[in-house]
Amino acid sequence: MKPFLTVYLKECVDNFRDRRTIISSFSLALMGPLLFVGLMTFMLQKTLGERDDAIHFAVVGGGNAPTLMQRLAAANANAEPITLADDADPRTLVTSGNHDLVLLIPDDYATRQSRGERVTLTLVYDSSELGSASRRARILEGQIEAYSRIIGLLRLQLRGIDPGLVQPISVQRLDVASNAEKALMVLSMVPYFILLVAFMGGFYLAIDTTAGEREHGSLEPLLSQPISRAALVLGKIAATCTFAGASLLLLLAGFYVGLPLVPLERIGLSLGFTAGNCLLIFLVMLPMIWLAAALLTVVASMARTYKEAQTYLSFLVLVPTLPIMFTQLMSLEPTPWMMLLPSLSQSFLISDFMTDDAVAIRDVALSIGSTGLLAALLTRLAISIYQRERILG
Amino acid sequence: MIRVQGLGKRFGTVVAINDVTFDAADRRVTALLGPNGAGKSTTLRILAGVLSADEGAATVNGHDVRIEPDLVRANIGVMPHNSGIYPRLTARENIRYYGRLQGLHGEALERRIESLLEQLDMVPFADRRTKGFSQGQRVKVALARALVHNPAHVILDEPTNGLDVMATRALREIILRLREAGCCVLFSSHIMQEVANLCDDVVIIAGGTVRYSGTVDQLREAAGTQDLETAFVQIAGLEEGEQ
Repeated sequence: MKPFLTVYLKECVDNFRDRRTIISSFSLALMGPLLFVGLMTFMLQKTLGERDDAIHFAVVGGGNAPTLMQRLAAANANAEPITLADDADPRTLVTSGNHDLVLLIPDDYATRQSRGERVTLTLVYDSSELGSASRRARILEGQIEAYSRIIGLLRLQLRGIDPGLVQPISVQRLDVASNAEKALMVLSMVPYFILLVAFMGGFYLAIDTTAGEREHGSLEPLLSQPISRAALVLGKIAATCTFAGASLLLLLAGFYVGLPLVPLERIGLSLGFTAGNCLLIFLVMLPMIWLAAALLTVVASMARTYKEAQTYLSFLVLVPTLPIMFTQLMSLEPTPWMMLLPSLSQSFLISDFMTDDAVAIRDVALSIGSTGLLAALLTRLAISIYQRERILG
Repeated sequence: MIRVQGLGKRFGTVVAINDVTFDAADRRVTALLGPNGAGKSTTLRILAGVLSADEGAATVNGHDVRIEPDLVRANIGVMPHNSGIYPRLTARENIRYYGRLQGLHGEALERRIESLLEQLDMVPFADRRTKGFSQGQRVKVALARALVHNPAHVILDEPTNGLDVMATRALREIILRLREAGCCVLFSSHIMQEVANLCDDVVIIAGGTVRYSGTVDQLREAAGTQDLETAFVQIAGLEEGEQ
């Protein structure tokens, strides 16, 4: 058997038996899709649900204001008629725990209305309660106020006065970041997450095969074997790539299964997370996996101990996020030179594949070529580190 | 036959060894004896090809370690100081890994592993993962690993370190058996008793240079004492005030 293959297989078997490596390699890939799907579904359901949800409340004296009650019912606010003893304190309806939101309509509602006078309605609720009473009270109040405004305007018009006089300033809300868009923001994190998994998948392998091997004292006898240092390092990097690649496949499979469950179509968005596009994402990520494995191996080889390597690499896994954060902050559009930058080019390409946009072959070639070149240089560097005597520490 | 001639090695400004010359013959056990930091490990590492000498030459069976490193590595079995084994692999898998790296495979490799396991009394724990092995068991795995390709030259760097009496005796048996089989055994130590019990030849190294080279009996003669420890201390120049 070729020395390269021998080293590769040994590192794979050895690390596959290490629980810590397995957890660190695959937990992120398993949790990622769950997290994304859960978070986005929650956000979308919150936005889309708020308008549709019926609110419930209890009403005392609903019969006094039939028109108001009809309007509220039309706005999906369902009243449950209840009665209150003449001399009872209305607060007890809520403090007794029987109801959490009660609307009180006085008996003279109709007569005061017909005389054109002001009527005061009361909403009883407990704002310190954890439930949705406060939110429903706010919605109910808003609906009653809207009705009140209409009546007010009609009264002014009847008396020949411009309704605008009583409302010199009006405010209109225009919230650009709707929850739907927040869900989209979460979705834009997917490429970043894919890149992170490419690094995390090989994290412990890169340490165990380098700094770990030296710390356990098994490096020196290994270097005394009649195999080239190149074969040795390539076997180790290949094993790191394998774990990162397996982790990424797991992640993509999770997204493939999970993302269609998010009700994205309700905000008019369709994703291209087809099996074919998943495969394309994996393909453009292959040189990135190699780059990550080589980079982690180089840095871990220079660390003196396992712990030291762990510290360096914890910072290192953040490196691929920097260009992505930068472009997101600057809202830059992809240009050819950006396709030369590892991690940035992959994040653009993944976004395009995800939304099923057209992708230029040139961009894919630039990304794969530049990332592959850098990965090859780093691999060369890793080999030369192992050719130094100082590798023994 | 291992031949070391005028070997010198510096780490920065520190001279680790200087003009180290000795021979280790086939079918003999040669001890490289010296206090800590004398340059024993550096010399053995140069022989194993993990360090390269600044001066001088070392040959194994006529092959220069610098010119034909892989040929030399295929001819020697090396067990470095405190050499570690892989805790998540079984004893057998640890040995198999090195066998494959030495180019062995298939039936021949498995047969060789099996015979090593028997020779070194490792059969009861051969298929257990080595995590939690005793120091003696670990040294056996490391030794079997170094011997898997049946090398004619065996280099052991402080092999008895951390071993109890029984494990040391077992190791001595193995070394003597290797000599019987015609091997050239070179091992380093700083314990005189080991040398007295085991060695044919002794090379005393101190402060990076060779202070003595010859048979054990000649050493007693040269030092003018029957007590080897005294002889060693005298020749290595370790007496108080001299270091």
